Amino acid sequence: MSAPSKRHVPLTLGYKKNKASIRGKDKKVTLNLTSMIDMFTILVVFLLKSYSAEGQIVTLSDALTLPESRSEQKIELNLEIIVTNDAIIVDGEPIVFVDESVLSEGNPIPILVERLSDHLEYTRQMRGTIDEAEMKVNIQGDVATRAILLQRVMSSCAQAGYGTQNLTVIKVEGGEEQ
Amino acid sequence: MAQAATGRSHRVRHSPELDLLPVMNLFCVIIPFLLLSASFLEITIIEMSPTEGISTGAGTTSLAQSEEQQLQPKIILTNEEMFLGTVFGTRSISRVFMEDRGGDMVNSYDFDELSDALADFRGELDEAFPTIPVHKITILTVDDVRYDNIVLTIDVCADHGFDQPGLQVAAYSVLQRQIIEGAGGVSP
Repeated sequence: MSAPSKRHVPLTLGYKKNKASIRGKDKKVTLNLTSMIDMFTILVVFLLKSYSAEGQIVTLSDALTLPESRSEQKIELNLEIIVTNDAIIVDGEPIVFVDESVLSEGNPIPILVERLSDHLEYTRQMRGTIDEAEMKVNIQGDVATRAILLQRVMSSCAQAGYGTQNLTVIKVEGGEEQ
Repeated sequence: MAQAATGRSHRVRHSPELDLLPVMNLFCVIIPFLLLSASFLEITIIEMSPTEGISTGAGTTSLAQSEEQQLQPKIILTNEEMFLGTVFGTRSISRVFMEDRGGDMVNSYDFDELSDALADFRGELDEAFPTIPVHKITILTVDDVRYDNIVLTIDVCADHGFDQPGLQVAAYSVLQRQIIEGAGGVSP
């Protein structure tokens, strides 16, 4: 039996070793991963960039579908209020459960005003002072939210001292058409 | 010559080689995580003007109001019709029709008609009051108008320079009174 050529290295199974491996000349088959690493590096950089640009500012709730808009105003990091047809959630904490009584009136919701005022006061105490930028809220509303509920949330914000209310929307292309 | 007596060189050449497997492992963990958590939606905001509570009376304009406030238009959304109320009068824009949105049949309005009406109004406004910049607009709705209809209305308004929208919700009877009283209009 002749010795294997350099091009064709057979697998060594069990204790059977060919003459080449006995002489320490066996070839170690390695994958060249460099090109794959290059591709992964590009992918990771791209994903990290898109993640840090938007992902950490807004956490979209699974319970709602945001409306689409052509607005191009960038989102800022503010207190988040989520409005669905079931509940009003402030900073991740459900404050008001929506029922017929909530939808039948049009004034600010007292419990929501109290919660928002507490939050503003807490911010004031923590920072010593409060400026215009702190007095903004982002309202995430479901597409099917009724106007009365949205208006009650907005007037509650205004009464608590949050003078600027931003509606969070998903940007769609087409703003330049008109 | 410094060569071994045997005539063979014993120097073993090692080509430096990085072990990339740990890096690969790290990437295999990071990439699925980032792909799962990444959101490819672009989130923006619409800044609203301060809102008032439910309008209790008709749209009377007091002398104390600024000129811009007096000139600012109102878009009135009811469950039957959409109106545009301006200083020149209130007029019907479109009737409500049913539209399929995400599998649900919901009320919708003709936003192209609204766009045309706002373009006309902007032209009239610039002609009659060229020195007064009007950016504010009020969206006046009945209580059960859907949020997406409000946002679509705001979008159309922004296209015509009315980019400071405010939201008011009123009972249907109050809106009807506004529509009737506004129908006369004011001569520029």
